[in-house]
Amino acid sequence: MNAVAMPAPASTRARGESLWRKAARKFGRDRYGMLALCIVLLYALAALGVWLGWWAGGWGDLTGTKWEPVSRLHWFGTNIIGQDIFDRAIYSTATAFEVGLIVALVSTAIGAVLGAFAGFFAGSLIDELLLWCMGVLDAIPFYLFVAAVAYALTGNPWAMHIAMIATFWVGTGRLIRGEVIKLRGMEYIEAAHSIGVSEVTIIFRHILPNTSHILLVQASITFVSAIKAEVILSFLGIGIKDGMSWGLMIDESTKEVLAGFYNNFLAASLLMFGLVMAFNTVADALQDALDPRKVG
Amino acid sequence: MEILQYALRKLLAGLPLILGVTLVSFALMVYFGPDMTYSLLGKNPTPEQILEVRHQLGYDQPFLQRYLEFLREIATLDFGNASTGEPVTALLAKTIPVSLILILPGFILGHVVGLLLALAAAYWRGRWPDKLIMAVAVIGMSVSFLIVIIAFQIVLSSSDGLDLFPVRGWNASSLGSYLTYVTVPTLATMFVALGYETRFYRSVIVEEMTRDHVRTARAFGLPESRIFLRNILKNCLIPFITRIMFSIPQVAIGGALLIESYFGIPGVGKATYEAIVTGDQPVLKAVVSLTAILFVLVVVLNDILYRAVDPRVTLQ
Repeated sequence: MNAVAMPAPASTRARGESLWRKAARKFGRDRYGMLALCIVLLYALAALGVWLGWWAGGWGDLTGTKWEPVSRLHWFGTNIIGQDIFDRAIYSTATAFEVGLIVALVSTAIGAVLGAFAGFFAGSLIDELLLWCMGVLDAIPFYLFVAAVAYALTGNPWAMHIAMIATFWVGTGRLIRGEVIKLRGMEYIEAAHSIGVSEVTIIFRHILPNTSHILLVQASITFVSAIKAEVILSFLGIGIKDGMSWGLMIDESTKEVLAGFYNNFLAASLLMFGLVMAFNTVADALQDALDPRKVG
Repeated sequence: MEILQYALRKLLAGLPLILGVTLVSFALMVYFGPDMTYSLLGKNPTPEQILEVRHQLGYDQPFLQRYLEFLREIATLDFGNASTGEPVTALLAKTIPVSLILILPGFILGHVVGLLLALAAAYWRGRWPDKLIMAVAVIGMSVSFLIVIIAFQIVLSSSDGLDLFPVRGWNASSLGSYLTYVTVPTLATMFVALGYETRFYRSVIVEEMTRDHVRTARAFGLPESRIFLRNILKNCLIPFITRIMFSIPQVAIGGALLIESYFGIPGVGKATYEAIVTGDQPVLKAVVSLTAILFVLVVVLNDILYRAVDPRVTLQ
C-alpha cells in the first residue's frame, strides 16, 4: 500500500500529474519566484517575532535623543522624539502582515462564496442582486469610500480593515463568477445533479475547490493591495490608530524630510518596498505556475 | 438613432446603480456619518437650541424619510450651500477643474508611455528589452504612491535636491506657474501608473499576437506592419477602451485625493474628503450623485465605443 501512495518520481512526469503538483514543480524551477518566497518568509519571521514578543517590543519607548545617526545601539538611528527607528520599522512589519493577512483571507473568502453563488445561479435574481452590489461598490471611488467607512465606524479599530474587505472582494467575486459559469456546464456537475446532490453541496464540494488556484493568486494580489492601501490611509489619518505602521512612519517622516533627516523615511519605504516587491514576484510566479496553458 | 435609443435604454437601466450608490453613500456618509449639531451651535447651548438644530438638519427623522429627502434634493438638483456658506455648485465649479488639470497630464502620459513601453516589450518578446521593461514595471508597481511623491519632492523640490519646483501649493493663473506646480504631481502620477499600465497593455498585445489568425496572415505573406496595425492592434482596442474608460470616474473624483492633500491643492478630492470628515451633507450629496451618474455614463459610452470599433457587437 505504501508504495502505491508514494508520489511518482519526477522523471516520469506522469500524465495524471495534479495541477498543484505540477505548479509546485514549475514554481520550484522559477529562480526569482523562489528567491522572492524566501524574502517573504524572512519578513514573516520578523512579524512572528513581534507577535511572540521576541523583539521590537520597545518601539514606543524613548531610548535616545532627537535624530541620532545610525549606531550600534540604534541600527537605523532615532526619530524626531528619540524613538528607535529599527524597532519601529520591524514592529510595522507585523502590522503590515496583520492587515494584509486579515484583508486578503476575509475578502477572498467572501469573493469566493458570493462569486460562486452569482455564477452558479447566473441570470437569476440572486445573480442580479450580487452584480448590483458589485456595481455599486465599484462606482464609489475607493479612498472616499474608505474615508466614509472610517468615519461611520469612528472608534472602531477595524474600520480600515472592514472598508478594504468591503471593496476588495469585488474583484475576486467577478473572477470567480466567470469561472463558475464555465464550470457549472461541465459533465461532472451534471452528474452530481442527477444523483441528487444539493445545490449548496455542489457549490462548496464540487465547484469552489476547482477555483482554488484563482483564489490563491487573488489572495496574494489582495495582500499587496492591502499593504499599499494601509500606508496611504494611515498617512491620510484614517488607517492604523493604535500601534505603528509604515504609513504612520512615513507620515511622521514628511516633516523630517523637509529638515533633511531621511532615516525614518528610508527605513519605512525600503522595508515596505522589499516586502511588496517580493510578494508581487511571488504572485507572478504563482500565476505562471498555476496557469495550465503554460507548459513547464 | 439606434445609438441614441440604446443610450437612453442603458441610462434607464443604470438607475438601480445610481440608487444603490446614493443609498450606500447616504447610509455611510450621512446617517452614520459625523454629527454636525455642535459645530453649528455656539458655546453652552440650551437643550431647546440643540433640538432645534437637530430638527433643521433632519436628525430627528427616521432613516427612510431622510433618504427620500436626500434623493428628492438630488433629483431636483437642489444641493444648497456648503457649511462654509458657499453654494455647492460654485464649490464644485471651482474645485473640479483644478483636479482635472492637475491629474490629466499624468493620466494621459501614464497611458501613452505605458503603451509605448508595452509595444516595445511585446515586439522583443522574450528577449532582453522585454525582460528589462517588465522587471522595471514590477519595481514600479511595488513602490507606494506616497513614497514616490515624497521621493520626487526630495529630488526635485527640496534644497537637498535640485530645488527646481515649489514644494507645495497651487497656482494656475498663468501657464508658467501652472507648469511649475503641476510637474512634480504629474511625474509622480505617471511613475505610479506606468508599472500597471505597461503590464496590462503588454499582456493584451501578447495575447492578440499569439492568435491563429495572426499566424495565418503571416503565412499569407502580409507585410508585418499591416499585420501589426490591422490584425493585432485593432483587436486590442476593446480591452484598451474598457481600461481607460473605467479609470475615468476614479481619476475625475477620487484619484487626486492623495496628491491634493499632500501638496495642499484645492481640488475636488480634498473638498470631498473634508466634507466626509466634517459631515458636510450638501457637498457629499452633490459629489456622490455626480460620481454615480458619471459611472453610468461611462458604462454607456463604453458600450457605444465597443460598437464603433467592433462591428460584430450589436446594441440591443
